[in-house]
Amino acid sequence: MKSKIVNKKYRYIEHLSDIGLEFFGNTIEELFKNAGEGMFSIICDLKKVRSLNKRRVRISQQSGSFEDLLISWLEKLLYWHEVDNIVFGRFEVKSIYKNNGDMELSAEVSGEKIDPDRHVIKTAVKAPTYHMLEIKKDEKHCNWRGRIIFDV
Amino acid sequence: MYEDYNIKKINDYKWEIQKDDRYGMRVPGIIFADRELLDHAVGEKTIDQVVNVSTLPGILKASYAMPDIHYGYGFPIGGVAAFGEDEGVISPGGVGFDISCGVRVMRSDLYLSDIEKRLEDIMGILSFNIPKGLGTKGKISLSREQLKKLLKEGVNWAIKNGYGLEEDKYCIEENGCMEGANPDFISNHAIDRGMNQVGTLGSGNHFLEIQVVDEIYDSEAAKLFGLEKGQITVMIHSGSRGLGHQICSDYIKVMQQSALKYGIKLADRQLACAPLSSPEGRRYYSAMACAVNYAMTNRHCLSHWLRKSFERFFGKSSEKLGLSVIYDVSHNIAKMEEHNIDGRMMKVCVHRKGATRSYPPGHKDICKKYKDIGQPVLIPGDMGRYSFILLGTEKAMSESFGSTCHGAGRLMSRTKAKKKIQGSELKKELFDKKGIIVMAGSMSGLAEEAPQAYKDVTRVVDITHSAGISKKAIRLRPLGVLKG
Repeated sequence: MKSKIVNKKYRYIEHLSDIGLEFFGNTIEELFKNAGEGMFSIICDLKKVRSLNKRRVRISQQSGSFEDLLISWLEKLLYWHEVDNIVFGRFEVKSIYKNNGDMELSAEVSGEKIDPDRHVIKTAVKAPTYHMLEIKKDEKHCNWRGRIIFDV
Repeated sequence: MYEDYNIKKINDYKWEIQKDDRYGMRVPGIIFADRELLDHAVGEKTIDQVVNVSTLPGILKASYAMPDIHYGYGFPIGGVAAFGEDEGVISPGGVGFDISCGVRVMRSDLYLSDIEKRLEDIMGILSFNIPKGLGTKGKISLSREQLKKLLKEGVNWAIKNGYGLEEDKYCIEENGCMEGANPDFISNHAIDRGMNQVGTLGSGNHFLEIQVVDEIYDSEAAKLFGLEKGQITVMIHSGSRGLGHQICSDYIKVMQQSALKYGIKLADRQLACAPLSSPEGRRYYSAMACAVNYAMTNRHCLSHWLRKSFERFFGKSSEKLGLSVIYDVSHNIAKMEEHNIDGRMMKVCVHRKGATRSYPPGHKDICKKYKDIGQPVLIPGDMGRYSFILLGTEKAMSESFGSTCHGAGRLMSRTKAKKKIQGSELKKELFDKKGIIVMAGSMSGLAEEAPQAYKDVTRVVDITHSAGISKKAIRLRPLGVLKG
């Protein structure tokens, strides 16, 4: 099946109290990459974030769905962001394996320490939520889309 | 989601969403609102969330919404729900990510005339001394073991270590230490996030505000608070920071599994829960209590930096400046409390997500000082209008599980607010038109918190006053606002 190439990475969606994100990808890996980038675009203007600090990410889960894996992926990035005072601007999701109920994500992210004089800080993200959370494969166009609400 | 509800008017300020089996409602929904705010809640689909909560097992009496209700995730913000000890559940989503987010008000012997010409200088000192905003570490750095002690001891830890005063703790819910806190039930990630954030304001809607007493509705209460018109107060709005966010995230994951394990059908995955009596439910309660102790200690340490800043600026001790805590409340919390259910006193778990406890005069759980007037209820408004001190009432006990509103409630989404309002223009406008000095780390964050993005808090508290679930005591007007 010929896939319809998705050019848009993500867009914000209206939510009265918090911030929602719709994100897209030609592959599941690209979908997760764009969700990570979308989340950090809420926090900071990513244009000024340099790739000075690289991290490898490996997340595995024994049961659950792509949605659960997405929450774990975003939570891991938020944890580093807060504890090590880092903003990430580059996201590379190398692989997402699914074998029966088991799943594993392997990725590399890079960014730098927050510098209030150089970075344009926007909104702090407290956590990704399960409310309206969805990951779908569009079988017709053979691409992926997701939706998530962040508590900010 | 739901096309039709049967909404019955009980009186001008109280509406009932009648129990409807089509939606799996176990109890009705009760909304405290006037007609316009009700229509807004219906239009924004917030009442879908009130209905979703009413489907949870063991819910008692009703799923309640306060007049500042607005659309959240899972539970609505401004929602109250109580669950029986035996058949009921506990839900981390019913507390929220910012566990024990709350408000503290401090009084002083200062008057408007003492500070109005020097306000900018005081705000400058506060901005320098109060750790705030994204990526800022606090002045207190703790080892894992020290943090675990704090989580068990709450503000007692702070007092022992020289932050804040002993007498202040009696004016904090739970006397500054929630029982049952057990750090063994929280993750290393939560500990890591909490180690450097004690005594930090955070960002988003959190703030520290210098205010002036603008109106007194209850002179007995004002006398007890040591306040008269023109006197200066300080309001602090902050919570349990990253530690609380992580505890909530961790347990929402746990409870996704618990819901399956105990056969609980969820209308929204963010409502994930476990029976109160289950190991998962008990562990969450103990973990949540750690975050409550952290949040109260956080506000206690912020008060300490405030005292130090005022001492330096005015060249007087904080005792001479009369700086003391009026009260400290948590508005994102679940607590075991005793309530009257069909004529029998029962232990129930009251979830307040964006709602404040509102205990009446004479209640055993409020401090001696306020026994005759009822518990002070602290309501932050927006940065351009007012904030209020209300008092708890007997009617709240029978009408809303001893609960009332927590703030103004959002009217406009953050994305819309940022499109419509420029942070720098707002800052200028507040100063030019109202003389309010705003210091904020992020201009886009400031735009999200613009007064236009919120309902009128006066209207919200008037509804709680008319509905009888809290009564007006003091109105406070902002002078200087510090935001992350």
